[in-house]
Amino acid sequence: MVRVLFFGILAAKTGCRETALDMEKPALKVEDFLDKVRKRFPGLPHAPYMVAVNEEKAEPGAMVRDGDEVAIMPPFSGGLI
Amino acid sequence: MTMNDKPVRIQSADFSIEEEINILKNSSLKTGAVVTFLGVARDFSEGKEIKSIAFEQYGKMALKAMERLREDALKRFDVIDIRMVHRVTAISPGGQIILIAVSSEHRDEAFKACRWCIDTLKKTVPLWKKEITPEGESWVTPHP
Repeated sequence: MVRVLFFGILAAKTGCRETALDMEKPALKVEDFLDKVRKRFPGLPHAPYMVAVNEEKAEPGAMVRDGDEVAIMPPFSGGLI
Repeated sequence: MTMNDKPVRIQSADFSIEEEINILKNSSLKTGAVVTFLGVARDFSEGKEIKSIAFEQYGKMALKAMERLREDALKRFDVIDIRMVHRVTAISPGGQIILIAVSSEHRDEAFKACRWCIDTLKKTVPLWKKEITPEGESWVTPHP
């Protein structure tokens, strides 16, 4: 299982802050994993958002493995102004 | 060691600007300048009255990203030290949100580093702001 976290407006759009998804395979590319997430949460917009795997920013082509934590995050807005 | 000894913090509690500046001043007699950036909650945003703002963070990743930002800035600029505190609780207008304080021998590098830190923080630290208005709540979409 992969722990999936949604933040900010993405949690509002999916109606979910945290869930677990079955991988079915030992590893998937981030892009393929996101397709899986979108099938489960059709309300998830395609962009813009950032993905982190185990608290590190995931570059295109990065892998998601069983047991990982995947965070799906809208553009950041800390700091204000 | 108290919590305030840590140079990078994400916390609910308010912070003391004077305390953070004093830590920088007292840590090195080479210090000739301390430049600060203070982010404050406004009561109006894009035509809407704001009752308060709230922040959500991605726990450890947000703190790690802020610590990395400080390390990067210390390498990039000729400064002595940097302290950063970001609050993540509900904050009413006039309340303090974020402090970045930079000490250096000469003012120019401290100004540059402080500006770079706040601009980079907004792009690299997983924090999200929600505005609470009399009509309801809305997540803020950052401007470029």
